[in-house]
Amino acid sequence: MKKSVLTTDWLFLKETIGLMDRKGLGKIGENVKSSSFDLDASARTETGVIVMSMFFVGLLIVAFTTNPVPSGTQAGERAPIFSGEAYDGTSWNSFEFADLLDTSWTWNSTEDSPWIAVEFLDTDCGFCKSSAQEVGQWSEMYTSPQWPGPDVIFIAVAVEFVSESSRAEIVEFRSQYENNFRYVDDLDISIADDWDVAATPTYFLVQPDGIVAWNSGQGSDTLGWDAKEEQSISLNGFDDGRVQLNEAIEQLTRLHEGE
Amino acid sequence: MNEYAVLSIHGIVIVYGLLLMTPVAPQINILKSRYPSTLTKRGQLTAGLAFVCFGGFTVSAHTLWMHNKLSEGASVCSGNSLLNCDGLIGNIAYNTDPLLGQPWGLIGMAAFTALMWLTLTIGKEPLSPQTPLFIRMGLGATIAGLPVIALLVSYEIKEGLICPFCTTAHIANIIALVGFFLLLKLQESDEWAPDIKKTSSRR
Repeated sequence: MKKSVLTTDWLFLKETIGLMDRKGLGKIGENVKSSSFDLDASARTETGVIVMSMFFVGLLIVAFTTNPVPSGTQAGERAPIFSGEAYDGTSWNSFEFADLLDTSWTWNSTEDSPWIAVEFLDTDCGFCKSSAQEVGQWSEMYTSPQWPGPDVIFIAVAVEFVSESSRAEIVEFRSQYENNFRYVDDLDISIADDWDVAATPTYFLVQPDGIVAWNSGQGSDTLGWDAKEEQSISLNGFDDGRVQLNEAIEQLTRLHEGE
Repeated sequence: MNEYAVLSIHGIVIVYGLLLMTPVAPQINILKSRYPSTLTKRGQLTAGLAFVCFGGFTVSAHTLWMHNKLSEGASVCSGNSLLNCDGLIGNIAYNTDPLLGQPWGLIGMAAFTALMWLTLTIGKEPLSPQTPLFIRMGLGATIAGLPVIALLVSYEIKEGLICPFCTTAHIANIIALVGFFLLLKLQESDEWAPDIKKTSSRR
């Protein structure tokens, strides 16, 4: 019974190959014949099984021993590291964003590592000017002893979007609005490119471990990142429904307080 | 375990594969009792290539692991200001390929898996009509890897850093290129399969 089935199959295949030849598809017919009866094909399949097993075992080992976090500037992603020259009120010094991070930080850490607020601004941008004083006040408020939450370090990244700017303008802007935090020179817009910043002012709140907790330039500025639950959450805009930097700080850094 | 101790394991596999492709192969061949075909020049070349591809695969898998670990915020290889993987594998401007957006480690794993398949298939069916094509495919794939290596080296130069794990994978690709070239030369000569009668290619 088995033999007759095989014979029928072979006759059917022969017919198919013959038909292909007659239709001018001789090459394809040959390949069908080759793959059915050429035992080299079994060596290839066997080798294929071996190497694919090797590939997937490799992938599985990597998958089971790591828990990757995507890089980017959306809430829940790992913020790009940057370095440059920063003005601290007296001189321009080298600045490393990575130095501010505490990579071992978790929500349950007993250590009170500071969060980081990053503002991208242009010294010629009207909105940046109108908010500069307020941002300066927040930078003092969120490091003061009266603030019950973790400290928030403010960093301004000065870009050149609107018109030509210079370090002298950055120094003048900082002093005019009495900001006491560091201003990083990004006049070549390299940091802004890495952070996908297309307009100013754009604000980010970054967790101590470098994960973006809030991005004002994201599709919805009400979207924050819950570090404890590791999921997105919706924030409230206290006045007009739009979430401001100070509102994001107050909600996210003290999210699970009292639980 | 120190990262360079782990790197040396990948390196030993690759170096052993390289040695199997050289005239010292008969002295160091540990496979000859199990695989008599490795007593031939063809067998030594394909076995050497298989070791090189496997070493390239494992070191690529290791860089993918580092890529993921760095995204978690860990530091995996940044002990030296020059030999530093973190600054390159952890740099989002460079750590994925510009076309597919996939980590370079994953690209390396896929590439060395494909090369491994070609190598093992050539070794198993040396007289198949497709063997010359497979050898040329291997040669072409490793040559195609050269511009990719050049791009990654340009990143290293730009950052003033050397990623030892990435460099090991690059070296494995270059050795594999030489191996496929030697296979091609051998396949075009009369020494390709003196141990196998033509008829035995069809079982």
